[in-house]
Amino acid sequence: MNGWMGKIIRINLSEGRHFLESLDPLMARNFIGGRGLASKILFDEIDPAVDPISPENKLIFATGPLTGAGAAASRFMVVTKGYLTGAIACSNSGGNFGPELKFAGYDLIIFEGKAKEPVYLLIEDDHIEIRPASFLWGKVIPETVGLIKQELKESLGKTDWEAREFRVACIGPAGENLSRIAAVVTDDERHAARSGVGAVMGSKNLKAVVVKGSQSINIDKHDQLKNTLFLLWEKLKEAKSTGYNLPTYGTSAGVSFYNECGIMPTHNFKYGVFDHAAKINGEEMKKKIVKGSFGCFSCPIRCGKITEVKEEGKVWKGMGPEYETLALMGASCEVDDLAAIAKANYLCDEFGVDTISAGGTIACAMELSERDYLPEEDIGFKLTFGDGEALVKLVEMICKNEGFGKVLAEGGYRLAEKYGHPEFFMGVKKQEFPGYDPRGVKGMGVAYATSNRGACHLRGLTSLSELVGIPEKVDPLTCEGKALLAINFQNFASVIDSSGMCIFAFRGIWQDGTMEALLNAVTGVGFDSAEMLKAGERIWNLERLFNLKAGLTKKTDTLPKRLLEEPSPRGPAKGHVVELDKMLIEYYELRGWDQDGVPTEEKISELGL
Amino acid sequence: MPRVKIDSNKCTGCRSCEAICSLEHFQVVNPLKSRIRIYHEPGQRLYIPIISGPFTGAQCTNKTVKVIGGVEIDGCVLCPVASCPSRHLFVEPGSEIPLKCDMCGEPPDPMCVKSCASGALTLVEVEKYATDFERSY
Repeated sequence: MNGWMGKIIRINLSEGRHFLESLDPLMARNFIGGRGLASKILFDEIDPAVDPISPENKLIFATGPLTGAGAAASRFMVVTKGYLTGAIACSNSGGNFGPELKFAGYDLIIFEGKAKEPVYLLIEDDHIEIRPASFLWGKVIPETVGLIKQELKESLGKTDWEAREFRVACIGPAGENLSRIAAVVTDDERHAARSGVGAVMGSKNLKAVVVKGSQSINIDKHDQLKNTLFLLWEKLKEAKSTGYNLPTYGTSAGVSFYNECGIMPTHNFKYGVFDHAAKINGEEMKKKIVKGSFGCFSCPIRCGKITEVKEEGKVWKGMGPEYETLALMGASCEVDDLAAIAKANYLCDEFGVDTISAGGTIACAMELSERDYLPEEDIGFKLTFGDGEALVKLVEMICKNEGFGKVLAEGGYRLAEKYGHPEFFMGVKKQEFPGYDPRGVKGMGVAYATSNRGACHLRGLTSLSELVGIPEKVDPLTCEGKALLAINFQNFASVIDSSGMCIFAFRGIWQDGTMEALLNAVTGVGFDSAEMLKAGERIWNLERLFNLKAGLTKKTDTLPKRLLEEPSPRGPAKGHVVELDKMLIEYYELRGWDQDGVPTEEKISELGL
Repeated sequence: MPRVKIDSNKCTGCRSCEAICSLEHFQVVNPLKSRIRIYHEPGQRLYIPIISGPFTGAQCTNKTVKVIGGVEIDGCVLCPVASCPSRHLFVEPGSEIPLKCDMCGEPPDPMCVKSCASGALTLVEVEKYATDFERSY
């Protein structure tokens, strides 16, 4: 096969055995790869009603046909039933792990069962070994990666250079402690963080996956791929966002922009404008903490920012914070202290915690505390909005699973529920919102509500069209046509995720045939635009069916009361709420679902599910 | 003569050059078949592109340690020679044939330079063969 490696590893952790399977070409064509293929396998193989942290749940690491094939595509996906949401989870990470898995010769790894003792998986081409990992248990991410490299050198006789080439995807102490907001981290670079996938990995006693390979990714039409790449690079360079903003400031470039648009979630989504945004925006970050850039495998955008915060006696080093972190830990908690946000971010990175969910949960706790619903003695200190020190302290407590951190590590939904005020939890399907207030960008409202993995910025980023103008600018404050816009974005995002492409390359490939050209050049399958988008729709419907079987209903396709009933108090979105009901009815209809949001028989057979 | 100038301060470790080099020369994507590799120092976030030169069958004796960005790096790693007994690098996996940069393109217009968005690799004109000390790190 070209593009796909054609092999799947199935690891039975309970028995400590592995099996090799071959990839069915027809299934690869129908579900493309990555997110789609893994969702299909999960749907077929597990009962969607299963307990996410039971051995019956499966954990799938999946790459797409474009992963590692040279086209700004480095993503791999972690697909499982999410511990945070109870819905299908697909967290997605860049870096170098995904491509390396392909170079080792595999498209997917499926983990089943539960290991008796902590283990890690070592893959070097044909050599697949489950090794004991007790010496790694409890260690933070950089230490874990370091110890694995050391073991490779000392026990397995790898040279320094070889050990360097092994790529690691692992969990930190948060995942081991089954925190519902735990992440899977690749090399201390990039994170597949959302929906609690780290806890699922932890529940299987799987500490890390270590991989290195020497195989080639075969390309069907290499000349066509090269020419398409030249065009893509040119386009990405010319666009202001991918050619200047992201390379220069990283995603933090969004802070000023989204604040001006009035959708910066502030004070736990009460306002859409953060007055102190200038203290945490891209320019400020560049001036104060950014030391360099990092690019994921074969990506010309290189949006990762290497940063450093110095304080007395200690230098904190790491990557980020990214826009979502600045929005949630910054604006939503009203913290304008960049150093504090960066420190909280580094802690999350070290311990393997999702920064979006951690920020959203802490903002929720701040609101509950200010309204006197959350007693001070439960937290241990007085918690108010804008307290940077408290933010770092709470994040540390979440990371180390200490004191009140144990409650926060369960996520915002369970926190708000515990104290009797679920209306202050800002999220969908128990997952916290990312950094866009949908009252100022209505399409995001319906995209959030219908997102299969809970509130998410990557499933249907309609703000690209509504605010940035890709592919065309529409009014962000109306509901007209937003259901269709959300559907188009959701279907296309499914294709991008499944192929292994990064959503940031969106700007260069949206609706101009580049995506098809890349897929065809690499795989030689001959996708046309209609078939590709059909595959996207198929994947979306499959995830929906999984969720319905898992017990989610139309009732979970909703937004918090605040966004539906409380008009935005100021900024460009002043006076607006999200008119969700109207959009939702239209959305179900356009999707070909009945009024309860269940895909109809015709739709299911049309998609061949 | 045209040469590729390396400025490691600008390198972001994206490895586009590795991918495109193997695509150009082997019609596949495989960093191990690339004639340019990115050395990285994980904790330090240091990325250094290394381009393969001629193969040598003997190991030299003047081992050095270079300090780049405050990090000590084994001089062998930065050596512009392709593969040698002390460094198993730039050797095609399977066939074990050493690989050497051929300044691809006619006139020379190397793919790695084309693919480098960060500006770490540039094509320059030099009067004589660029040796180690002419590269800037």
